[in-house]
Amino acid sequence: MVLTKNKLREYRNRSKLSQEKLAQRVDVTRQTIISIENGKYIPSLVLALKFAKQFKCKVEDLFGV
Amino acid sequence: MKNKTRVIMMYSIALVWIMLGLLFNHFNLGVSNFQIYGSVGNWLVYIGFIGLIIATVKLIFIAKKRKTIDERMEFVATKANRVTFLCLIIAAFVIMIIDGIKPITMPYHLFMSYLVCGILIVYFISYKVLLRFY
Repeated sequence: MVLTKNKLREYRNRSKLSQEKLAQRVDVTRQTIISIENGKYIPSLVLALKFAKQFKCKVEDLFGV
Repeated sequence: MKNKTRVIMMYSIALVWIMLGLLFNHFNLGVSNFQIYGSVGNWLVYIGFIGLIIATVKLIFIAKKRKTIDERMEFVATKANRVTFLCLIIAAFVIMIIDGIKPITMPYHLFMSYLVCGILIVYFISYKVLLRFY
């Protein structure tokens, strides 16, 4: 399965957060953020919800299938 | 898992080994020629003390460094598990085809050591390789 919509990088840049900072805030490694941004890894629902909470948006705004 | 919990777990496991070792020795279990340790109980006590030393060193020097284990690593670890299991099955099948079905002539402890080392090596390599793809 591939994500058709992945706006994590866009939202991160908009929030002026580095990959390292975002990784710390959602409790994952920087490599995981890189993998998600590059579409290599599909985050779990829990992680997607953490991103949504972090950027104060809906999960559907960040990811889509 | 947080570092503090991990260290507590390491201490607990080490203490369980020591207790098990003492119990084994007390009830004379596993006393038949266990390599250089004399008995399984002695070996367990030895391993328990090594565990205590490692936990203490970790508590003093390493515990300050935060280590994150995230869902991607767990995902890759699961995949690596599957790959290792498949490799084991395929290797066993290939060996049976090439060598035929023969009794294993080497000592049991040596065979198990090779097997466990082989599984660990395959797991480690597959984990490292899979990390690059996810």
